[in-house]
Amino acid sequence: MVTEEEIEQVAKLMKIDVHDHKEYVEKVHDMINYFDILDSAGVEDEEFTMKDLPLSSLRKDKHIPFEDKLIEKLNNYKGSYVRAPKMV
Amino acid sequence: MNLKISGLEYIEEVKNGNISAEDFVSATIDRIKNIDEKLHAFLQVNSKAVEQARDIDKKIKSGKKVGSCFGMPISIKDNICIKHSKTTCASKMLEKFIAPYDATVITKLKEQDAVFVGKANLDEFAMGLTTEFSAYGPSRNPWNTDYVPGGSSGGSAVSVSAFECVASLGSDTGGSVRNPASFCSAVGYKPTYGLISRYGLVSYANSIEQIGPVTRTVKDAAFLLNILSGLDPNDNTTIDGGGQDYLSEIDSGIEGKKIGIIQEMMSEGIDPAVLAATNDAVSKLEGLGAVCENVSIDMVKYSVASYYTITATEAGSNLARYDNLRYGYDFPVEGFEFNSYISKARSKFGPEVIRRMILGGFVPSSGHAGKYFLKSLKVKSKLTNEVNEAFKKYDFLIAPTVPILPFKIGEKIDDPIALFLVDINTVMSNLTGIPSISVPYALSNGLPIGIQLLAKHNHDKSLLKVARALETTVRLPEVPI
Repeated sequence: MVTEEEIEQVAKLMKIDVHDHKEYVEKVHDMINYFDILDSAGVEDEEFTMKDLPLSSLRKDKHIPFEDKLIEKLNNYKGSYVRAPKMV
Repeated sequence: MNLKISGLEYIEEVKNGNISAEDFVSATIDRIKNIDEKLHAFLQVNSKAVEQARDIDKKIKSGKKVGSCFGMPISIKDNICIKHSKTTCASKMLEKFIAPYDATVITKLKEQDAVFVGKANLDEFAMGLTTEFSAYGPSRNPWNTDYVPGGSSGGSAVSVSAFECVASLGSDTGGSVRNPASFCSAVGYKPTYGLISRYGLVSYANSIEQIGPVTRTVKDAAFLLNILSGLDPNDNTTIDGGGQDYLSEIDSGIEGKKIGIIQEMMSEGIDPAVLAATNDAVSKLEGLGAVCENVSIDMVKYSVASYYTITATEAGSNLARYDNLRYGYDFPVEGFEFNSYISKARSKFGPEVIRRMILGGFVPSSGHAGKYFLKSLKVKSKLTNEVNEAFKKYDFLIAPTVPILPFKIGEKIDDPIALFLVDINTVMSNLTGIPSISVPYALSNGLPIGIQLLAKHNHDKSLLKVARALETTVRLPEVPI
């Protein structure tokens, strides 16, 4: 059984402020409890495959000219650097 | 000016010189001005639409080559990028975001001289199925404005149904084109995964979502698929549809085709009126020469849980970019520590987006991934096997698009599990990648009911044929607005 504390911990790691406990934590708790239905699906022995994507199908890694200077669309930049809040 | 015509009828009228693109688009914009205050289908209206239509008229008059849309007014869900115009995803987070490039579908429609009349409302980041989670307020169902129009492409379906445009583009992750089309009595079509490029669609759950048209007729959907489908170097999940003409032979009928009626989508919780309409649709298809039988797809019961687990996981990853450093809004960095700055910036997300982000962090996390995420992938795999098995016996599958009738605005918004279950009939085609279409079929107490048809992977052409066959059996009244 998932606890509300576990949900709050994940929200914190995801940098999400869950100030409204009922709206976020309780409802997410209900949603996760609903997912318990998966336990009765009987798929433990089922294999699943991911679609392979060969390198040849990928777009070439080359510069595509772009008419606008994207950095100038930002509000917080200095020269060619994006300004971010202090980490330490 | 009669706005109540299909896309193909519009093209014929303009080609024959009976109407001009400018007059039609101008009348469309007037209608939006007159009725959209009630319906709220649009988040923005294109102020240059009439001018653009006038330019297309000039091309026609001067004998220059004109694209196949001839100025057809189309609305675009506001999670699809149109260069130099706002793309908000109905979120406060992207309130001022101006797209720096065109989505591939937009490039293709521009090449064919479509006119974009505006950006259509949606649930924030396409997360929802009622359009009530739009940060700018809900859209309203034109059949009864106290009711939800479905979602997440609610604005798209409302705008088509209420004659505020001829067609629209939406996106369908778990039914987001078909559900509102069903609730608003429009055609909603989710193509085979990869048939239409997703480049320029703001990502929610990349592995299963598709752009799809909302139209007035099945033929219009086929017409748009001809324009929109094809390989795109900017989206390496696109597939080659073989250059088919989806419109040709669309009236060739369904004599001898076998159709499976999905029992798990016709049982628990289904509204009696929806059940009766589906049974009636089955009888009509039999009358056209199809052979219909019951089929069981056991994994349908688990598909909603699998769907929400997978989409939340992908959404949690996709939405990580909204940290105000990569995407976000004007909010100064001074005075904040790194983590608290991002938390504060993310407070602009609405409640449903926040819930799904938390879910998306939780279900694939260490200690929980085996119980939720990996099990969901296994359900997806088993469901795909069961559907492939069913298609060994049947050409098509049928079920109601949504098992219940449209409900009142606010009725289910506080009950996420009740909302989950509204998706039960639509998520299967997203999880398995197969094409499906919702065809307007009936009304109950003045509220629309849509019937969903599904076909094998990359059998979109035959799906459009059976949908067209069903459509020919139906005569519905006009929307009362």
